[in-house]
Amino acid sequence: MQWLRKILDKVGKDFQHGGKLEKFHAVYDMQDTVLFTTADTTKSGSHVRDGMDLKRMMVTVVVAMLPAVAMALYNTGYQSNLAIAAGAHALDAWQEAVFAALGLGYDPTNLLSNLVHGAVWFIPIFAVTAIAGGIVETVTAVIRGHEVNEGFLVTMFLIPLITPATVPLWQIFVATVFGVLIGKEIFGGTGFNILNPALVARAFLFFAYPAEISGDKVWIAADLTGVDGLSGATWLSRASSAGMGPEGLGNLDLMDAFLGFIPGSMGETSALACLIGAVILIATGIGSWRTMAGVGIGTIALSMLLNAVGSETNPFFAVPFYYHMVLGGWALGTVFMATEPVTSPFTDTGKLIYGFLIGVLVVLVRVVNPAYPEGMMLAILFMNMFAPLIDYFFIQANIKRRAARYA
Amino acid sequence: MHSNAYTFGFAAIICAVCGIVVAGSAVSLKDRQDANVRLDKQKKVLSVAGLLTDDEDVTPDEVQKRFTGNIQIKVVDLKTGGYATEVDATTFDQSKASKDPARSAVAPKNKAKVLRLPNRATVYHVVKDGELVMLVLPVEGKGLWSTLYGYLALEKDGNTIAGLTFYQHGETPGLGGEVDNEKWKALWKGRKAFKDGKPFIKVIKGQAGPVAEAPYEVDGLSGATLTARGVTNLIQFWLGGNGFGPYLNKMKSLAKMKGA
Amino acid sequence: MAAKTKEILLDPLFTNNPIALQVLGVCSALAVTTKMETSVVMALAVIAVTALSNLSISAIRNYIPSSIRIIVQLTIIASLVIVTDQVLKAFMYDVSKQLSVFVGLIITNCIVMGRAEAFAMQNPPMASLFDGIGNGMGYGLVLLVVGFFRELFGSGRLFGAQVFSLASEGGWYTPNGLMVLAPSAFFLIATFIWVLRTYKPEQVEED
Repeated sequence: MQWLRKILDKVGKDFQHGGKLEKFHAVYDMQDTVLFTTADTTKSGSHVRDGMDLKRMMVTVVVAMLPAVAMALYNTGYQSNLAIAAGAHALDAWQEAVFAALGLGYDPTNLLSNLVHGAVWFIPIFAVTAIAGGIVETVTAVIRGHEVNEGFLVTMFLIPLITPATVPLWQIFVATVFGVLIGKEIFGGTGFNILNPALVARAFLFFAYPAEISGDKVWIAADLTGVDGLSGATWLSRASSAGMGPEGLGNLDLMDAFLGFIPGSMGETSALACLIGAVILIATGIGSWRTMAGVGIGTIALSMLLNAVGSETNPFFAVPFYYHMVLGGWALGTVFMATEPVTSPFTDTGKLIYGFLIGVLVVLVRVVNPAYPEGMMLAILFMNMFAPLIDYFFIQANIKRRAARYA
Repeated sequence: MHSNAYTFGFAAIICAVCGIVVAGSAVSLKDRQDANVRLDKQKKVLSVAGLLTDDEDVTPDEVQKRFTGNIQIKVVDLKTGGYATEVDATTFDQSKASKDPARSAVAPKNKAKVLRLPNRATVYHVVKDGELVMLVLPVEGKGLWSTLYGYLALEKDGNTIAGLTFYQHGETPGLGGEVDNEKWKALWKGRKAFKDGKPFIKVIKGQAGPVAEAPYEVDGLSGATLTARGVTNLIQFWLGGNGFGPYLNKMKSLAKMKGA
Repeated sequence: MAAKTKEILLDPLFTNNPIALQVLGVCSALAVTTKMETSVVMALAVIAVTALSNLSISAIRNYIPSSIRIIVQLTIIASLVIVTDQVLKAFMYDVSKQLSVFVGLIITNCIVMGRAEAFAMQNPPMASLFDGIGNGMGYGLVLLVVGFFRELFGSGRLFGAQVFSLASEGGWYTPNGLMVLAPSAFFLIATFIWVLRTYKPEQVEED
């Protein structure tokens, strides 16, 4: 590896202060620190902007996400193959042409066919996200004259996980640019953002192009027209529409939902994969168990309350809490997005309260709001905005307590 | 500092001047404004009757001419289904009547979430060469977020749908807001409203197919199940016994007699 | 005098924009900017009201007892707004229907009151008139910018004429639903302020 180091050092001179390519130091530094361990590090959270161990932290989060990514690949292909085996048609898209050319066949029992079929949908979205985010990050870094930081790494993995496979790639591009620019850069970049950029990107898609991210046509990458007895809707929207409630969920195998063999956004379906991620995050001390526990408690508390209250007109009231936890974006959101350190409170009690309110809001949006069967995105974004306020409240309480102690 | 008398006097003068300006403008412009409101309504009715297209740029006079030439305003007693001849149809305002306790009642519980039901309602007859060719009925009801207001046009048999237009709603653009989509609106034409005397037309999920195959069904709006359900509910409500049902029954038997 | 008039008239456009710098009148900027047509009419209505209210208040400024000056300003502004609303209803019915209550709400637009109290009470009528027109234009400018992007990207149209052919009608453009919703105006105004302050860094507030 010596030769590479030498080349980088040689080229590097031009990028250093006073060099002729000084303006593009950010681009050089990005390549350099990806290839080699950086020379200087500091130890602190991602809110400290020159924290050079941010990269390691982000990489750990990405590692924790890998089970969810693997399930995203598998389940996207599995759902599509399953539908096609039941009589649906493959979508008229270049991704399907690529898959057909590989000659693996649409066989839901074939692991490889499922993985590859999922990959032809997942990888383009991932690539477009990476390119779009990379462009924004690099341009803003060059304009601002700082290094390209790793903040985008997690976002880059999250965006494909929280979108359906069939979202047009140009929409992913626009949404990623919007998410990174408006969700993060406008506030000053990584560490200054109020909202989770991946969720901002998803919210943009959700409100700007609702037809491509809601309803019953988008969640399975197959054309279901004319196939009887096959629904492309997510289980949450099935439970909320047609007034089915828990009876409608009767056909749902709870184990399938836990493992993730159900239609939905690519990476959100498997609660198990998220659970593995949660273990990694908690063990390494990167993700807060308090936040996750808070979300769990909030969800259980409100859904049990709604179970007890009941409603004649809204059967969704009767859905038990464990369905809420395995369906939709609950698991993924709780583990990877609610815990994001920049946008959640810093105080310990604050994290519990923050998580609890997210849990309450998810159930509230899912059950009471007539239009949105899924509520995780809105709940987290909404609470993101309150994180500083929650912190303020607990810090003030601490100050008062201590003042009283030493008074 | 000014004296109290000066302050009061000044305030009085300002009030008087402003009052005169405001009152003057309101009175002098009233005729024009009323004409505008009337013209607006006429345009909507003409448009659902297919006598005026959206991209047509017509003068107020032309609208007036087409309206008086082709359309007769009638006021119907909703309970009996007969014409309420005691009311002047040209000045009758249904939305005002719905708010007046003397001329309306609390609506029976209904899926369209219509709260008050007027005793009488406006109906437009589209007339060609002295013959009735089409009925235009005002409809309203809850969608997902908002109340939808529109007109439903029926052929003279009181059963075949000639068109449906909503002129005011606040549904999600791109989803429920697609009720304004010309292609979707065109799907209603030719379908049948009643089966065995009951309002049967509905918006389904997915595609309904051509009129011959699915005479009582209209394509769903993708991603807007609840708005679509609201449209079904409101159409069925206004065609039903509490709405224009009695009136349409009369029209149907009339049409049969003429046909026989 | 000429140079000063120009300054009074044009300063509110960029250097001292009522929305971008003073952050006044944002509410109506969110509500009426889905289309260029409504934006233009709203802008003209506000220009008319600020100009006339500034002019008339300035003309009687030396006679207004200071104890009731706010009420007097309010009465004059309210009357002007009602007249404007009546005129729109009579002559531009379609647009006034789309603007609905927001013409009436010009009364509550802080720009009008703010300029009356801050400028017209201290300055002669002609200067006040120009100040009113200038501030109305500053408000209108933001409305037009926001309206331009919202109508173009939200429905592919400008002034009601199709510019981008829509995907639902066989074209290429998929309308951006977010642009039709009010929050998009927040994003656009924020971006406008961002661009303006990058161009004029002296507008950035110190913490």
